[in-house]
Amino acid sequence: MRRITGWLLCTVAALVLLFSYKTSTMGPGGETSAIAAGAGTGSTAAEPGSGGASGPGRYDGSVAQTRWGPVQVRITASGGKITNVSVLQVPDGNFRDRQINDHAVPILRQETLAAQSAEVDTVSGATVTSDGYRESLQAAIDAAHLK
Amino acid sequence: MSATVLDRRTAYRPPRPAPAWWGDVAGSAAVLSLLVVTALWTADRGVQELLGELATGLTSAGRLTGLLSADLMLVQVVLMARVPLVERRFGQDRIARWHRLAGFTSFHLLLAHVVLTTLGYAGTARENVLTQLWLLVTEYPGMLLATAALALLVLVVVTSVRAARRRLRYESWHLLHLYAYLGIGLALPHQLWTGADFVGSAAARAYWWTAYLVALGSVLVFRLGLPAWRSLRHRVEVAAVVPEAPGITSIWLRGRHLDRLPVRAGQFFCWRFLDGPGWSRAHPYSLSAPPSGDLMRITVKALGDGSAGVATLRPGTRVLLEGPYGRLTGEHWRGGGVTLLACGVGVTPLLALLWELPYAPGQAVLLYRARTPQELAFRAELDRLAAVRGVVVHHLVGPRARRPSWLPVHAEGRSDAETLRRLSPDIATHDVYLCGPDGWIDAARAATRAAGVPEQHTHHERFAW
Repeated sequence: MRRITGWLLCTVAALVLLFSYKTSTMGPGGETSAIAAGAGTGSTAAEPGSGGASGPGRYDGSVAQTRWGPVQVRITASGGKITNVSVLQVPDGNFRDRQINDHAVPILRQETLAAQSAEVDTVSGATVTSDGYRESLQAAIDAAHLK
Repeated sequence: MSATVLDRRTAYRPPRPAPAWWGDVAGSAAVLSLLVVTALWTADRGVQELLGELATGLTSAGRLTGLLSADLMLVQVVLMARVPLVERRFGQDRIARWHRLAGFTSFHLLLAHVVLTTLGYAGTARENVLTQLWLLVTEYPGMLLATAALALLVLVVVTSVRAARRRLRYESWHLLHLYAYLGIGLALPHQLWTGADFVGSAAARAYWWTAYLVALGSVLVFRLGLPAWRSLRHRVEVAAVVPEAPGITSIWLRGRHLDRLPVRAGQFFCWRFLDGPGWSRAHPYSLSAPPSGDLMRITVKALGDGSAGVATLRPGTRVLLEGPYGRLTGEHWRGGGVTLLACGVGVTPLLALLWELPYAPGQAVLLYRARTPQELAFRAELDRLAAVRGVVVHHLVGPRARRPSWLPVHAEGRSDAETLRRLSPDIATHDVYLCGPDGWIDAARAATRAAGVPEQHTHHERFAW
């Protein structure tokens, strides 16, 4: 076999192997990797027990459309206070969204419980999610007739 | 063969120079593309993010360097695609220099992109930098391909650093260089899938797709399609092989409709001789006789690698051609006197010009420099040019001067410019053509300047590949 044929074969083999890797053909939002699934989207981590529909004392905010995807917040209110916040949707179209939101969502939740209003600070690096979060949170607070 | 073919002269049509606006269009397009990329980045909040938090700032800078690097790579693909608009206007020697400059610049931008983006992403996600790098490569869409692309571009750049380039055979270097195309292609998915600027706006998507398609189109049309079509149409083959001087060989080539080949004296083709291994390398050889009837001629000096094999070519060998290229043509000639300075095998394109240009007897001066009398080629042909066309021929034979000079050692006593004026008294008003090795051209240009030839009337092309 001539050397150039060998090179060509090696190149083709390397390309086939590269393209058989999961991230090489997935497109922008089609991940199903084990790590990604395990990391979750933050909403389930925030409140494992939240059901499908709003129950007593639970109020869903509107869906805020951000450039990276929809954000929706659910609050649990009792005695005129926000007792819990969970996130129904945050952008999770790709790994970076998940990396950022896994970090941002717990902070936003803490801030909400402390502030008892939608006046929460933007989490650095998660401007888009924070904006959507505030919008949806305000709608949920309005729906609960708090303040 | 030569006398009969070369004496057959047709009415002279001056070659049309490439219009100046071609260069303006090509240059503006390259600059504009970088501007558009920057504007798209700015429109996508690039500046705000750059001036914001440290992590977002790093990511934003990483985006800009990545986008500029990708754009410069595409500019280079177009630059090297031998698009007539670019090639006729600037000449391959200049284009090759720009390619080198743009190549290293885009590579450094690429390295900055990798470092800045990794640091920025790690900062935003509060992740250890190495962990983040690992996640980027293994989890982000298209990033494993982009990593492979980076490896290929590193390979291309490392083999093109001068020290490495000298150690590699041209063939190996050239084949490795082709991996740059693969690298650019493999980098595309990560731009599409994780690039904020690609996903972000319709304008950005439209721009990038256009840029990629233009680059791909110019390679397919001008680098592959046109040469393939010309080779098939003209069916060029070796007609005869004639030794001219020790190590210098002329090849007569026969083909169909050569008069329809848009080539002029002073130009060159990149030739591939289909005579066995090594055919994949294209050799740039100037025509020493422009097409006449169904024949044309090149003259080659055995230097190394492929050019030595030319002497053993057999008549009937099929030839693929790519071109014509080059700007050392009659398009610069203003119709008066002309002085041609040749060194060694550099005489070939000038010989073709001497046959083609319709100067009056006594108006053309050829100064032909060679190391030994044996190395002077085309003696009979030059005698014939002197007799038939009234060309004044001076041979300058001898070893190289001990100072940088276009003259042989025995003439180094006088100044370079003085000798030039003595041999070609009206040179200051002439159009001057130069062809030879790099160092010699530099010395000869210094001499023509000193002899009063304005820069715009001195024409040369470098053949250091």
